[in-house]
Amino acid sequence: MSFRRIWLLVWKEFTQLLRDRSMIPLIFIMPVIQLVLFGYVIGTDVKDLRTAFLDQDGTTASQQVVDGFTSSGYFVSVARPTNDAGVRRALDGNVAQVAIIIPRGFADQVSKGQAAQLSVIVDGSDAKTASVAQGYAGSIVANLSGKLYPRPATKPGATTPGGVDARVRVLFNPTMRAVNTMVPALLAFILMMSTQNLISQSIVKERERGTLEQLFVTPIGRAEYLIGKLLPYVAVAIIQILIVFTVGTLWFKVPFSGSVAVLGIGLALFMITMLGQGMLISLMSRTRYQAQQANVFLMVPSMMLSGFVFPLSSMPALLIPLTYLIPLRYILVIVRSNFVKGSGFIDLWPQFLAMIIFSVAIFGLGLTRFQKRLSD
Amino acid sequence: MPWSDNRPAACVPESLVHSDDAIVVSGMRKKFGDFAAVDGIDLTVKRGEIFGFLGPNGSGKTTTIRMLCGVIEPTGGGARVMGYDVCSEAEKVRANIGYMSQKFSLFQDLTVDENLKFYGGIYGLSSEKLAERREYILDMADLRGREKELTGNLSVGWKQRLALGCATIHEPKLIFLDEPTSGVDPTARRQFWELLYELASGGVTLFVTTHYMDEATHCNRLAFIYRGRIVAEGTPQEVKADLSADTILQISVDRGEEALAALEDMPAVQEGYMQGSLVHVNLGRRSPSEADIEGYLRSRGFAVTSIEPVEPTLEDAFVHLVTQQGGRA
Repeated sequence: MSFRRIWLLVWKEFTQLLRDRSMIPLIFIMPVIQLVLFGYVIGTDVKDLRTAFLDQDGTTASQQVVDGFTSSGYFVSVARPTNDAGVRRALDGNVAQVAIIIPRGFADQVSKGQAAQLSVIVDGSDAKTASVAQGYAGSIVANLSGKLYPRPATKPGATTPGGVDARVRVLFNPTMRAVNTMVPALLAFILMMSTQNLISQSIVKERERGTLEQLFVTPIGRAEYLIGKLLPYVAVAIIQILIVFTVGTLWFKVPFSGSVAVLGIGLALFMITMLGQGMLISLMSRTRYQAQQANVFLMVPSMMLSGFVFPLSSMPALLIPLTYLIPLRYILVIVRSNFVKGSGFIDLWPQFLAMIIFSVAIFGLGLTRFQKRLSD
Repeated sequence: MPWSDNRPAACVPESLVHSDDAIVVSGMRKKFGDFAAVDGIDLTVKRGEIFGFLGPNGSGKTTTIRMLCGVIEPTGGGARVMGYDVCSEAEKVRANIGYMSQKFSLFQDLTVDENLKFYGGIYGLSSEKLAERREYILDMADLRGREKELTGNLSVGWKQRLALGCATIHEPKLIFLDEPTSGVDPTARRQFWELLYELASGGVTLFVTTHYMDEATHCNRLAFIYRGRIVAEGTPQEVKADLSADTILQISVDRGEEALAALEDMPAVQEGYMQGSLVHVNLGRRSPSEADIEGYLRSRGFAVTSIEPVEPTLEDAFVHLVTQQGGRA
């Protein structure tokens, strides 16, 4: 084992990487673009919902309700209809996405400590926005109830005015919640996208051009070659993780309540698994195009069946057994729980066990197949 | 230990090697499953020789070279290369040889200088030595002023010479060249062979495979491999001597391919093949007068321009050897 040779291989790999004009943006800009896309678009960060307020009560209490909505930042008053027909026009004409109706006698009921009625009408044609609006409205109403009824409510039901399901959002700020779980998930997802892809592309390119053949007639040993090949991409992966972590915590203000050790070890195991997958892809592909296709082929089920985009709880029972075969599934639980709740090794031992099994099995298989290919 | 490069046991005893032998191959074979790519070959290459290793595609040429370079292990027998056993001392074998393939395996996205730095370092050259070799190679490959150019932008001839430079940066005494000139224009080929002669005159042993028969005649000695076995070995003269008693006719005729097919059905014709646009037929020990080639072709509507006996070429010998083995070249 010669460190000089390993160092030369690493230097060569980095020089090639830096010279490839499409590579630098891919490595450094892609994580940020993905963060922005997933953080903002999928992150259900719905703001400034166009809202029509119909205040039939016209009292201080009803004005408090209107202020409560508009001051939250999620609802903007765009119309002040005076009757039900006006509300319908606003919704039908797409002027408003949400209508809030405060009926006559609202203040009376509040002052008597009775359950006050309040209608929130949401345009259901955009299901996503509708459910988010519903969630916001629920928590704003719950918040208002606390202000309007200073004493403990006479009846438990009284804090939940009719017509609004206030149970939707319980613990976290509804807008932050999606980003809070999306950013940690992106740590693992970007690691997968780039590590697996870069390593397989790089090996296949070397074989396509015949340089692999050339390297093995020099004194370079197989172990030296692999270390020299893997190290640069490990470094790239670490840089990408740091970018996502920094942008996620500083720009998206995702609170990090976990430990660097748990997160680091989890991601390291996942990275080893992805390096193994990348090697296996490189062995199955003769051209870089084939390797690209294989990457996409693995990417889609990983995205769909890991809980990255769609929650596992909403998956058909038939597909659930498949999800256990996807390494991303386990690392997502690790990064999300650690990030949000600070879960440690003890809480996460089943996931860590799964990651250890995956990394040993897949990386081991990659190594032995690679070794075998080189000796034939 | 799956990642070690060396097997403990040597596969060829040192006693088989004379001091002037560069390569000694003994009973070397390589099987892929049930298929014997190389089927027990014996060869000796003397130091300072230009040794031509010929054979059609898929005959076991490349597998043989890969075993001799210590890249893959033989499944039986073995070889000693520059005194080192390819089974037990593969790393030493690789440190003492140069290898250049038809792909000129340079890093296209590195510059000329970076390629030199990389290969120099891999072979463990000191920085003074590397600087000295760099000067030499830049002169040899005529690359002065292009040190910072990306290798991928160089013309084929330059790439080829740089590849030779990188493969010989550590001044090996033995160089394997696997079809080094395929796809290169004739001028560049001639220049390249001049470089090879220069190396050979400095005492370097060259082990060359080629498709070009005119290049094979440049070699001191030749071996033909066919279906994993050595079917002929010797100097170019010796290889051709096999055919010296045979009558070879060179026929200029229209529709050459069709004429060849017709001639192959003629009882007097042992073997025939195209050489460029001309048809070559081997009549064996028969004299030209014993077979009325012209009449035969005319009666079948071919327009014959000329028929003349020629000295057997290496290509004739090659086709002859392959036909004898029951195959087609």
